[in-house]
Amino acid sequence: MKFLLRRAAWMLLTLWVVFTITFFLMRAVPGGPFSRERQLPEAARRNFEARYNLDKPLWWQYFNDLSHDARLDFGPSMSLEDYSVNEVIAEGFPVSVSLGVISLVLALTVGMTAGVISATRRNSIYDFVFMALATLGIAVPNFVLASICVMLFVFWFQLFPVAGWGSLDKLIQPALCLAAPFAAYIARLTRAGMLEVLNLDYVRTAYSKGLSTRTVIIRHALRGAILPVVSYLGPATAGILTGSLVLERMFVVPGMGTHFIESATQRDYPLAMGMVLVYTFLLLMMNAVVDFSYAVIDPRVKAE
Amino acid sequence: MPFLRKAFPYLAIAVGLASLAWAVSFNSLPPADLSFNNGDEVKTIDPAKATGQPEHRILTALFEGLLQNVPDPAGKQPNGNTPIIQAPGVAESYELSADRRTYTFHIRPGAQWSDGSPLTAADFVWSWRRLLHPETASEYAYQLNYVVGAQQYNASELKPGDQVEVELDDRPYKDVDDRTFPQGTLRRGILIRTVKPPEPQIPKGTPDKKKRELMAGWREKWAHIVEIKPPSQEKDATEISWKDKGEEFAYSQKPSPEETPCPLEIGKCKHVLVDFDSTVAIKATNAETLVVTLTNPTPYFKELVAFYPLYPVNRRCVEEFGSPGWTKPGRIVSNGAFVLQTRRIRDRIRLHKNLKYWDAEHVKLNVVDAYPVKSETTCLNMYLSGQLDWGYPVPSVVIPDLKGRPDYASAPMFTTYFYRCNVTRPPMDNVLVRRALNLAINKREIVESVTRAGQLPATSFVPPGMPGYTQPKGSIDYERDVTEARRLLGEAGYPDGKGFPKIQVLFNTQEAHRTIAEVIQSNWKNNLGIDVELRNLEWGVFLSSLTKKDYQVARSAWVADYSDPNTFLDMFVTDGPNNQTGWSNADYDKLIHDAAAEADETRRMAMLQKAEEILLSEQPILPIYSYVSNNMVKPYVKGFTANVRDDHPLQLMWIDQEEKKRFLRGEVRQP
Repeated sequence: MKFLLRRAAWMLLTLWVVFTITFFLMRAVPGGPFSRERQLPEAARRNFEARYNLDKPLWWQYFNDLSHDARLDFGPSMSLEDYSVNEVIAEGFPVSVSLGVISLVLALTVGMTAGVISATRRNSIYDFVFMALATLGIAVPNFVLASICVMLFVFWFQLFPVAGWGSLDKLIQPALCLAAPFAAYIARLTRAGMLEVLNLDYVRTAYSKGLSTRTVIIRHALRGAILPVVSYLGPATAGILTGSLVLERMFVVPGMGTHFIESATQRDYPLAMGMVLVYTFLLLMMNAVVDFSYAVIDPRVKAE
Repeated sequence: MPFLRKAFPYLAIAVGLASLAWAVSFNSLPPADLSFNNGDEVKTIDPAKATGQPEHRILTALFEGLLQNVPDPAGKQPNGNTPIIQAPGVAESYELSADRRTYTFHIRPGAQWSDGSPLTAADFVWSWRRLLHPETASEYAYQLNYVVGAQQYNASELKPGDQVEVELDDRPYKDVDDRTFPQGTLRRGILIRTVKPPEPQIPKGTPDKKKRELMAGWREKWAHIVEIKPPSQEKDATEISWKDKGEEFAYSQKPSPEETPCPLEIGKCKHVLVDFDSTVAIKATNAETLVVTLTNPTPYFKELVAFYPLYPVNRRCVEEFGSPGWTKPGRIVSNGAFVLQTRRIRDRIRLHKNLKYWDAEHVKLNVVDAYPVKSETTCLNMYLSGQLDWGYPVPSVVIPDLKGRPDYASAPMFTTYFYRCNVTRPPMDNVLVRRALNLAINKREIVESVTRAGQLPATSFVPPGMPGYTQPKGSIDYERDVTEARRLLGEAGYPDGKGFPKIQVLFNTQEAHRTIAEVIQSNWKNNLGIDVELRNLEWGVFLSSLTKKDYQVARSAWVADYSDPNTFLDMFVTDGPNNQTGWSNADYDKLIHDAAAEADETRRMAMLQKAEEILLSEQPILPIYSYVSNNMVKPYVKGFTANVRDDHPLQLMWIDQEEKKRFLRGEVRQP
């Protein structure tokens, strides 16, 4: 319990630091939310500033935003004028999270299977092929992979639509492209972890007891081997969250990634802040879950 | 703990499956009749607050103005342009007075909103009042400035003796931000005088923003002494009796009695503006007649009336839900050919046919989807793979490959690509230098090798084909131009480019702009011997540099608001907000001003032509080319006409189902 409380306190502190840096950094960038090719009339500019409190002194804006954001009221969006930031997040968050979760599960499944097979059939053709694919998956940027996928699966083989969201066939390409580099990395990690574990005493004991290879691997060796994978899950989530920005643009997925990019280019302060805080929170949450899960998975690790 | 450990993998799989199930069940919508790309997510669908092309397309589908802008059914003119003309919209007809300043619009009987309530002239009066109201802060309010009294209302201009309206601080939704309507109580009267607190002392060197804030804050403290007139003794007690004596009251937006030497007690008010009903010449003489009087005969006013800022909005809806809440699907009340069915941010906007539209029997599309795809490549892919029936924009690099296809629709547009020169900074302050730079650009090379979509090299600023307008004669001989350019540069004091300081060409980050800038850079190097640096900036930073005049040469473009040369030429009046070059010429200003007041069309066009001649001879801008539109449209989409404004009203389009079936059967997707 103390572990959880301390963790929560750290998270809040991190969020506050992120908030402060983002707040000042955003306003330091030249250009502003009402940079237009056609100049704004004076009344329009003043009204805009009044609505978003931009005419108040900076410290007033800071504390006002802090108190509102702490209550999860991020205010009206400057660029999507018909919506409040909360509404935008409510629409985009489930989409991004589901895409992220599906990609992560896909990455874990494919990666771990490939890693286990590589490890148990070490130096065989399976091993070489999987590891080669893994290297490619890590090296090739996800948008290049996306372009290749579109060429192959949309035009050549006509399996999937180009873009969109909402049905299984629209889901597969973004999920695949997003999952690929992580599946690759997880495969390598699993392989390394398995190889290490397979040499340990307790595995040899299991074999000597007469258990089948499958039982030994899945029920005994895997538990120890996935530790590096679990610790990778934290940075993997970070990678999936940020990698999804480009893919959401390319596949027109109505998630938070596009909002993130657009809010920065359009200097939409409330929306950008909302996005940053949500992403930071997700990252911190995931890292906390990962740390906590160590204690669950590995009896040798005790939660402090 | 052990339980958790065993359950962990199953939990993980369960979460994964749950996500999958959720994602797949994301309300798969049935396919639409027509799917097209709107280019970006719309910022707002409030006609008074929107600006931009994506908003324009949605608004012309959801709402309708007094008139409609449609591509000319007569088709292409000899010069290749397909112009825009006005067809009846909410108004089935209108009359123009003999002095061409008063429009009388006749609203068609039986016109109704999508909720069944009747659409009357009063709706237009209220919507235009809302558009002009300073608190709405519409960026397009200036489009109504041609109407008598509108500018004073919009700019909160007052002078003693004016008939004014005072909005008291008793709005029904006091604590809610942005609820301008429903308004508080309006008291009407005559402005006697304005008592001002001492003007704030602004120290030298205060940034502009702070200066504006101080002045605006000072203005809010002014106390206006108004003689409030009593209600009329005659039958209609809602009318004011201007003749009778009234009582004097003082009002201020921010009463500060200690600073303001006002004899009366200062009451708080929201606004003191010129009286809309009696000063602004927009009147509903009865439910079906709207009379609008302009300050000057403005021939393009009828095109403005068909443009979205002047669309009507439903008073009951806006007052009940406030702005922007009223725009949500399920609440929004509109009067156009379509109603808003679903709106998912960055996914799509779905429109359904409005059965209450007056011309509903001729609207053939039932369901239309507008996608907000920003990436040109994705848009093209979606078009080629059949997800979109009408794709725009397309990446300029593939245009030469697409040009020959029958589904590539292109037409000249009233848009000019040009370079602005900052005339406040040497060496661009020398007109000879600017003329030399302009003549040394090989514009033909740019349109033939870089943009390659059939654009026209520009010798003038106003694009060709404006009805009734002849451009000043332009130079078309490149060889002779380059010789002349060299001579001019020598005359300016830089023979063969010697001694010419290195200048910077600024553009916003986009591949096409860079390629064009590189061509121009090499033109100037080879022809004039001068060195030029290229610099790209992110859009927001770029705009900020333009506004602050922190540049030497900058890439620009301008789209016509209406089909008249004035929309291009009135940009460059002295201190015009869209001038941004620092260029000022009194003769030019006078010509533009006089042309606006000139009743005779021929004389007006001649004045504008003279003004453009001045602009081109002083060359604060270097015109490069005029645009062509490029759309990819499937052959089974009918009613699509490429035109000068790239306007494509959805109510004119339909799908030929037979042809679509044939197309899909024989379809081969090509990368």
